[in-house]
Amino acid sequence: MSRLPFYFIVTGMVGFVLYQAASLLTLTGWIGEELRGPSGWFHIHLFVLGWATMLAMGAVYQLIPVVVQTIVYSERLGYFHYIIFTTGLAGLLYGFIASQINWIAIGASAAFVGILSFGWNMYMTLRRAARWNAITISAACSIVYLVLTGLSGMLMGINFATAWWIDGHDNLFGAHIWMGTIGWFGLLITGFSYKMLPMFYLAHNYSTKPQTIILLLWNAAVIVGAATFLADGSTWLIWFALLILTAAAAVYNVHLLRIRRSRHKRHPGSGIQWSVYCSIAFGSLLAVWLAVSVYSPDMLLHEDAIRIAGWLYLSGWVSFTILSYASKIIPFLWWTYRYGKQAGKPGTPLMADMLSDKHVHVSLSAMAAGILLVTIGMLFGSQWMIELAGTALSAGSLVYISLAALVFTR
Amino acid sequence: MEASPMQIRDWLKEVYDPELGVNIVDLGLVYEARQEPDRIYVQMTLTTPGCPLHDTIIGSVKWVLAEKSGQSNIEVDMVWEPQWKPSMMSEEAKQVLGYF
Repeated sequence: MSRLPFYFIVTGMVGFVLYQAASLLTLTGWIGEELRGPSGWFHIHLFVLGWATMLAMGAVYQLIPVVVQTIVYSERLGYFHYIIFTTGLAGLLYGFIASQINWIAIGASAAFVGILSFGWNMYMTLRRAARWNAITISAACSIVYLVLTGLSGMLMGINFATAWWIDGHDNLFGAHIWMGTIGWFGLLITGFSYKMLPMFYLAHNYSTKPQTIILLLWNAAVIVGAATFLADGSTWLIWFALLILTAAAAVYNVHLLRIRRSRHKRHPGSGIQWSVYCSIAFGSLLAVWLAVSVYSPDMLLHEDAIRIAGWLYLSGWVSFTILSYASKIIPFLWWTYRYGKQAGKPGTPLMADMLSDKHVHVSLSAMAAGILLVTIGMLFGSQWMIELAGTALSAGSLVYISLAALVFTR
Repeated sequence: MEASPMQIRDWLKEVYDPELGVNIVDLGLVYEARQEPDRIYVQMTLTTPGCPLHDTIIGSVKWVLAEKSGQSNIEVDMVWEPQWKPSMMSEEAKQVLGYF
């Protein structure tokens, strides 16, 4: 078994711990401060790249060869990706926190080289797919958006240094965020759900047609949104992109519920159940956001609105879904590594023995409550509430990730 | 002594799907099992193509049959037709999974 997913997943867990520790040190107060500054960039990139992207890349290395039924094109390139991306990210984060432009430039370039090598490795692996389906196409699209996110980030860095398109800096910034959040994370999570949910629910005889609709709508939302930001289009076009995304999320949720209805296993595990609840909450909030902003689409780009939407999307949906799936991915990875060759021999534990489902349920419930309370604090501009709930959320998150890490001792 | 198909199936009840906690025979994954003069042949499937446990389960089948029969030549033929259906599970398996 390849150790590549293992390195990415463990490093992602370390990134998560560092992010939570950094949040604890500021009592999560950084969320209420100016996000477009060194402190905000540091926390956001640690969260987005050090935790969510790192773990997501590990999941891609673990799941794509299984889906395509082949091996990764080049393990060696995968290790190069791991080293250059992790080293580059460390340099980038140091550059942000120390306000060192050179470190930011070198770190970002190295991390981007890592992303490019990941993109090439997956392109060559996916080329071997005998049959393309919604899972492989979603993964391929998400990786394209990751590369474009990295590219736009690099262009922003060059813009900082050379001011070659200073008027267009905010355009690049908008496209960078949109492609990274909606494109990379959105399509990866939805695509992987088509594999994860039926597998753990043991679902059969459900239609996969909605997956094509979701794929088309989600891609349309990414393209319309990114093009609008780049071309400095009307905020109504951003609203329209949001409308397409809301439609995609609605079809996605209906599809998840149909998978759930076709299940032949009563309990798929708390992590999987929570991922479904989280998706329903995400889809509902998106619809509310869309309805509220119809009266004034300009509010979509207001700093406070972006702050709350970014928090809910990244912490509430992306990270929470990754954490929920991690309750299955981590035991699966470790069990296969540790016990894969002993399956069938007496005394070999089951995967369910690796991580207590009750602990997963309690921890995810506590984290969901924490995310909700921080959001309420943000809505009412209550700094003490953000700090109190944020601190509790970070502490709870550290307990959860510690429980997941204990799997490696089983 | 040559093992009967029933005997081989009994041996295969020791191979569990580690996620579902049910053995592969009760899950209805074993389509055919027979002893031939120079090998044991098993035709089986998985609950879904592209299952991450593909290699692990094949390895377990080979290990268990080699251990029980003393035969080192075990052929596991993984097929996707006919496609596995939940109705192929035994009543015991359905109970364990809370099948309804």
